[in-house]
Amino acid sequence: MFRFFRDGLYRDYIILILVTIIAGAAVSSGVAWAVDVYFGDTIQEMIGDNGEFDLILHIREASEEAAVRELERIAQQQYPGAVISKTISLAGQVNYLFGFPKEAKTAETFSRLPSIFNAVPGLNSYTVIVEPSVLVRGVHPSISDTLQQRFNQIGGVSFAFRDGKNMLIVLEGAEHSKRVMNEVKQILKDYQVLEIRFPMGFDVDVQSTGDAVIQLLRKEYPGAKLANVSSTEYGEELDALMKTLVEMRHFLLSYASKVTIKLAPGSTVVMGEQIVVQGLSQQVPASGEEAASDHVVIEILEVNGDQAQGMIVSGSAAADGGVLTQPGYEYLSENKIGKPVGEVRIENERYRLNYAIEESLRLLRELDGLSVEAALAVERADKVLTTFQEALMQLEVLQVQMQQLNKGLAEKGAQSTSEQLIISLFINGLLKSIAKSGSETAEEFDLDQLENLDIASMRSSLESIAEQIGSIQEIDVQAIIDQVSDIRDSLPDLDDEEIGKSVRLVDNYIAGQVIPGERIQILVEKGPVDTEAVEPLIRSRLQNQYLNVYSIAAGTVNPDTRTEVFRILKEVRATIAGILSIVLVGVFLILDHATIFSTLKWFRANQKQPRHGLAKLMNPVALFSAAVGAAVLAATYWLSRAAVPYVSMATVAVIGMGLGAAVGIFSEKFSPVRADEIMAGLALGLNNAQIMHEIVIPDGRPGLLQLMNRAKQKF
Amino acid sequence: MLKIRGLRKQYGKHIAVDGVDLDVRRGETVVIMGPSGCGKSTMIRCVNRLTEPDAGEILVDGKSILSLDDQSLREFRRTVGFVFQQFNLIARLNVLDNVMFHLVLAGVPREQAEARARKALAKVGLESSEHKHPANLSGGEQQRVGIARALASNPQLMLWDEPTASLDPILIGEVLDVMEELVRTTNTTSIIVTHEVGFALKVADRIILMDKGKVVEEGSPRAIFADPQSEVGKKYQRLIAS
Repeated sequence: MFRFFRDGLYRDYIILILVTIIAGAAVSSGVAWAVDVYFGDTIQEMIGDNGEFDLILHIREASEEAAVRELERIAQQQYPGAVISKTISLAGQVNYLFGFPKEAKTAETFSRLPSIFNAVPGLNSYTVIVEPSVLVRGVHPSISDTLQQRFNQIGGVSFAFRDGKNMLIVLEGAEHSKRVMNEVKQILKDYQVLEIRFPMGFDVDVQSTGDAVIQLLRKEYPGAKLANVSSTEYGEELDALMKTLVEMRHFLLSYASKVTIKLAPGSTVVMGEQIVVQGLSQQVPASGEEAASDHVVIEILEVNGDQAQGMIVSGSAAADGGVLTQPGYEYLSENKIGKPVGEVRIENERYRLNYAIEESLRLLRELDGLSVEAALAVERADKVLTTFQEALMQLEVLQVQMQQLNKGLAEKGAQSTSEQLIISLFINGLLKSIAKSGSETAEEFDLDQLENLDIASMRSSLESIAEQIGSIQEIDVQAIIDQVSDIRDSLPDLDDEEIGKSVRLVDNYIAGQVIPGERIQILVEKGPVDTEAVEPLIRSRLQNQYLNVYSIAAGTVNPDTRTEVFRILKEVRATIAGILSIVLVGVFLILDHATIFSTLKWFRANQKQPRHGLAKLMNPVALFSAAVGAAVLAATYWLSRAAVPYVSMATVAVIGMGLGAAVGIFSEKFSPVRADEIMAGLALGLNNAQIMHEIVIPDGRPGLLQLMNRAKQKF
Repeated sequence: MLKIRGLRKQYGKHIAVDGVDLDVRRGETVVIMGPSGCGKSTMIRCVNRLTEPDAGEILVDGKSILSLDDQSLREFRRTVGFVFQQFNLIARLNVLDNVMFHLVLAGVPREQAEARARKALAKVGLESSEHKHPANLSGGEQQRVGIARALASNPQLMLWDEPTASLDPILIGEVLDVMEELVRTTNTTSIIVTHEVGFALKVADRIILMDKGKVVEEGSPRAIFADPQSEVGKKYQRLIAS
């Protein structure tokens, strides 16, 4: 077959192949580039310059006028310097670009976008396009707060904020983009969400099953930090409800009567078992008899040695009594009473709470009166102190006078009169009797001691007490009394049976009978957990051979919207180039190469040697054309920088091979040759190249081959 | 000049030429006749290897044609004029170019080629039609262009492959007249495959009758048709008699 290419024809054909590749690559990449530029310019017009706008607000067309007024108000009043620009409108929806002033581009602003724009009439939604930024998509709600904190600590990050399930990391400059993206990827690698997916229709209790899986994983990965985040998958609201229910259960249990069972020697009870006590019933329970309707049924919640804790699930034990101690009996099926189990002590917590509140109210009322009384007492004590101080001063004067008198008597000696002596003795006795009232013993009396009393300090203490009493009096005790009274009145009016039923319902809800799911999600830190290794273990532990274990990233990193759009455009350009390459190569094969292939086939049909065996089945022209197709398409595809998604270079070569083979097989249909003219050429002594240049190619389809042939064609 | 020995050509299971031996002297005009499919055309196509024979030997002036390389074969072909049954003209070229193009491609200067082509066209009476395209000519005229093309290269051997088979009866005469004139006025060795008995009688030095790929009878026209030995010869005799 290759003899055909002698006489220089091989050179011509190689040139044709090269020209085909270059022309194909040039046209396909040129068209793709034009499309790229066109869309790039369009997008520039659509979303403004880099960093100019932060949001695209999608507004219903009918509300445009009012919405613009509100946007302008926001721009003028809340964010002076903000920019607003209208962009394209689509299907009854107008879109406005909104750019915050530089100083307002903060985490606080972007975190409260809904509240900033909630008054914009007709606002359907908004798209955040803040730049430069890194977008983390699909952040698992269970770790969004943690991730936000960690992202904020990355150098070059201005701030990070949540936007639905995504998290936007706003950068200080575009130059940080690549590094921040890498660091964010590293951070995300620290987390792994392990998803255990059950077959369709196979509902599981997401809480208890999740906990069981965690227990299993803890054994396999002791260093990993594990958390059941299945409920967060259902939404933060449901997660909050779950937490509320757990708290409500705690409250109900603390509000319910406290049941303690002192087990009799030899008696045992287990968790979940029920016992019966007399309660307020007139009928005393007896083994073997049926329980009365007003007997109290208790469910065991916990057992510790010979003591058990329980909860009343039927009947009420004590209305006001506070504490009730009665013998307990097994509660058997069919409402039968079994053997005694021990002594049951029921403490009515509601009674205790009510009692405590009543006592508090009483204390508060007493406190109000007490403060008034205390104020009066302090006032009186102050007056007493003043009187005492005055008396003391008079005593001092008297003492001085006494000293002068004694001195006078001493100086006169025996010359003093009997009257003077009697006065002196009287005053000394009087002073002693006065001093006795402030001394333990008469012997200790000394007027100096009275003088040394720290009256000022005592007065200061009294003043301090008076101030404190004044502060107490300033307290609005009545308001406290009113509020405590309100609390007392708002306490649930529930009996033990109602509380028990409520706790059971909450337990059922939390246990997953009401929140079933087909998948469980476990957050793994310090993993990673090898899903292939743990899948058989989890299957075995949960006794379900049909479940599958997957590893889900905690989030995926993307560049900002503009970069993403341009990345998509780049992909579109590469895809267009790829598709054009395939189409153009197909066209070139049909227009130019089919002529060669059909001539080759004609020459081969007129070969001297007959073909035998496998050679008879093989079609060398089809093989040759397939090889040419593969080479031309692969080279064109590569040169035009094409990249069709999911199509590898090998696939491109296979497509080229298929195209070439098809053109080769059907070449006579695409470009028939005039056999009689070729025969004439041969008969006239023309070589193959002359036959091609003068007979075949000029008669073929117009294309590159004909263009190139013109230089060599003589007729 | 031409010696063929044991020539054999088979298409699948059909044996087209089955061990043909033939000798042609220089300047001789040999007419090959026989029923359709008897191997006449295959045999003369084997002479310039337009059809590659399976076996046998072809010698021209003592030189083996079957052992020629591509270049030598092309040179040999330029010395052999071949007139096709279907004319085989190049549709896009005018009459003059059709007659001269192979000369130019063989290296003959264009002016010389043109002169030779015009001379050849004059011989077939088409000197005034040199700018016409084949599509604008009658079948007879087209065949005359084909003859002129063969003559333009001054061949030493002319191979005629049923030149009138594609023509309607009215046009056959003009071609046969040209052929007869050429055979009479030139000294070219000719091998003519035809069904035209009258023409054969007029121009043939020797007639060869073929049947089922074999030469069944050969001799002078008078001998063949006066006293045929083969069944094919007897059929031709009855044809002449009728």
